[in-house]
Amino acid sequence: MAQLDDHLAPRAIPATTQLIAIAWLRWRIFANGFIRRQTSPRKVVGLILTILLRVLIWPIYALMAIGPAIGAGFLSWLIISQHHPQRLIPLLAGLAILWQFVTINGVTLAATMSSFDPSSLLRFPLRFGRYLVLRLMLGLLTPSTIIGCLALFAAVIGIGIADHSLAPAAIIVLVIYAAMNIFFARMIAAWMERWMATRRAREIFGALMALFFIGMQFLNFRHAGPREHIENSHWLLNFVQGSNRILSWLPPGFATNSILLEGHPLARLAQFTALLAWTALFFAAFAFRLHKQFLGEYLSEGAPRSVPSLAASSAKIRSRPALALRSEPERTLISPIITACLHKEWIYFRGNGGQLIGLLTPLIFVFIFSKGMLARHPAYLLPGAVGYSLMGPMAALYGIFGADGAGVQLYLLAPIRLRDVVVAKNIASMTLLLIEATLAWVLVSLLASAPIPIATQVSAAFWIVFILFVNLTLGTLRSIQAPRKIVPGQARKLRPGAVSKTSGLLVLAILLTSILLQVPVTLLCRHFHNLWLGAVIFAPLAAAAIAAYAMMLRNADSLIRTHRDLFAEELCGE
Amino acid sequence: MTPAIDTTLLTRRFGDFTAVENLNLTVEAGQFFGFLGPNGAGKSTTIKMLTGLLAPTSGTIRILGADLTQNSADLKRMIGVVPEGMALFGRLTASEYLRFVGRMYGLDRITTEQRTVELLDFMNLADEHKKLITDFSHGMQKKLALAAAVIHGPRILFLDEPFEGVDAIAAGTLKSMLQRMIARGATIFLTSHVLEIVERLCTHIGIIHRGQLVAQGSIEELRARSAPPPRPGEEALQQNTAPLTLEQIFLEIVGADRTGNLAAAPPEQELSWLS
Repeated sequence: MAQLDDHLAPRAIPATTQLIAIAWLRWRIFANGFIRRQTSPRKVVGLILTILLRVLIWPIYALMAIGPAIGAGFLSWLIISQHHPQRLIPLLAGLAILWQFVTINGVTLAATMSSFDPSSLLRFPLRFGRYLVLRLMLGLLTPSTIIGCLALFAAVIGIGIADHSLAPAAIIVLVIYAAMNIFFARMIAAWMERWMATRRAREIFGALMALFFIGMQFLNFRHAGPREHIENSHWLLNFVQGSNRILSWLPPGFATNSILLEGHPLARLAQFTALLAWTALFFAAFAFRLHKQFLGEYLSEGAPRSVPSLAASSAKIRSRPALALRSEPERTLISPIITACLHKEWIYFRGNGGQLIGLLTPLIFVFIFSKGMLARHPAYLLPGAVGYSLMGPMAALYGIFGADGAGVQLYLLAPIRLRDVVVAKNIASMTLLLIEATLAWVLVSLLASAPIPIATQVSAAFWIVFILFVNLTLGTLRSIQAPRKIVPGQARKLRPGAVSKTSGLLVLAILLTSILLQVPVTLLCRHFHNLWLGAVIFAPLAAAAIAAYAMMLRNADSLIRTHRDLFAEELCGE
Repeated sequence: MTPAIDTTLLTRRFGDFTAVENLNLTVEAGQFFGFLGPNGAGKSTTIKMLTGLLAPTSGTIRILGADLTQNSADLKRMIGVVPEGMALFGRLTASEYLRFVGRMYGLDRITTEQRTVELLDFMNLADEHKKLITDFSHGMQKKLALAAAVIHGPRILFLDEPFEGVDAIAAGTLKSMLQRMIARGATIFLTSHVLEIVERLCTHIGIIHRGQLVAQGSIEELRARSAPPPRPGEEALQQNTAPLTLEQIFLEIVGADRTGNLAAAPPEQELSWLS
């Protein structure tokens, strides 16, 4: 292969220069994140809310990190001191699963917080080795690494306290084990990025994940009595012993045996070598994928759209029959704007498999739980099932313009009442929610062990109307005042604006409050031994919610026009 | 003399769709090369392959005589790129960005600092030093992207639509810089839909259509190729007519079917409702 002439070949760039430059870049991006473009009262409130939320949330994260560490430390001490060393295998396997689980969940968090895509560095003259190191280093300080390393560190301490002689081996082996977990997580992430490049693959994966989590519910959704509890413990022990045979060929087994194995040093060395081999394998698989990316692999939805041939376009024009000119406007019952918007919403829904999965999954859970304990309490079952199945889909009401992206400009430019657009979007959402609620209702009616009292049903009907209109009203208001762009499959790559970021938890609070309002009302009904009380409470609330919705609709045009700058900033940008 | 850019049977497929097919392209050192084509013809795909951002499905790319795949890190130091989306880091200021790019290309601190100041001054961005790039106008971002592409003194500059969305003043600044580079021996590979600018700046043109290179040469060569053959006795008359513009040449080569078809369409289907 042709090489560069010696006189042309530039002097190599020292690795430190580029690595320091990238570290500096990260620092500047972080520091510049505090620069505010303008200080409006809204942004100040947003900043205060962000700080408050972080103060509240960070201790929860800290507990999530410390909990597994305490558990791992204590269990490893217990296992060694009680002379059941082979039980270290499931413990290490459990830590590896936790590590990967946190990684999967952390991807979303890291992606929304990350300020640049590391693959954008590929245009610079980086050698592959440096790019590999960079990709390993960037994002190393993730929750999964912190939690996993803390837990392994605690395990080393636990093992060391129980048996001092095992401490040196435990330190070395568990460092390798940590590296193995890091490489494994990176390898999975890199390959997932490759496999999930198309929307169809993402939808299939989403469906599989949903099925997996649903399947998990079948394992133990009933309350276990004392006898069942003992049986379960035996089953668990047998399961652990059985799985140990498989795990002994996997990294947790090799790591455990490298620490504990007594006898010939060569056997211990072989176990350690096997652990190293697994680690090297994961690293190689990660490096292989990254090398493809380094060479300019194309990961996208598919081929860039080809421009149809001009001859073909013209042929289409010719084959189309001439349209008769209309002299009068079309007369329809519903505004043509609403019809057009509804049609557009239908096309979006049709092409969004993820949304369909999101609608089906709660119903499957309703089916599962309706057969359990709840089936004996129809008064709780109906509102519980409907509320649960509506909660996820209802969250979409809080970002009705998100999927439109820059297309929202059309609504602002066209000579239309923006209220019609809002109405169309709300009709589309409400139709889906009503179908969802009806299906949940039917499921519950079929599966309940006793007929659901008519008073409970009437109360539930008013309650549904109430929560639908409350969330439609507040959701539309939030969609206007804190719009956020949504691109299916890329949502995690989009950074929410300051306003939408801070109002996210508020949305959750409103959703939960409106749905959980059913609980005190049900308790009141029980207290007064009158199930009709629910209907009496929810009927006026539903009427008030409808009135509030009508009022919001009346002001929708002016509200949207007032916030057009925000629309442009949040929805029309990159 | 070794060509600055030389591709042999360069092909890129995306599934069933072939974006670039068997592209044999040669750009000599020192040329101001305009790479033209209709939307979706394969221009950006070609630039991405030539700059090592996209792997070709088959074929070879030689930059300054060296194989791009084998020497990508070294060759990336000799080229500058203004990609389609500009690929700037929005949360940096202009000077921070240029300093970062300079260091990534291996310039020492003092040189980076000097060039950053010079470039910001030349591009009239020096007064915006406190502003984040994300708050820059489109034209300012284009100027900054060009400044970043040249900070390390590349021998070849790839520009993907550098004049798109740029006002006349900014375009003037960009053109001035490009002409200086050409005068000092650099090679420029440019794609643009603004044919007037291409005609004024470029010495050589390549035209890609549906992934295939359909014409290549100097503007005069393309002009001669596109001009209709003179009828007997009209030679003298033709010498007095105005030469074909690049737009006419371009339309002649890739746009003939469009004009032909529109002319053939029935009048009632010719968007007659347009006022």
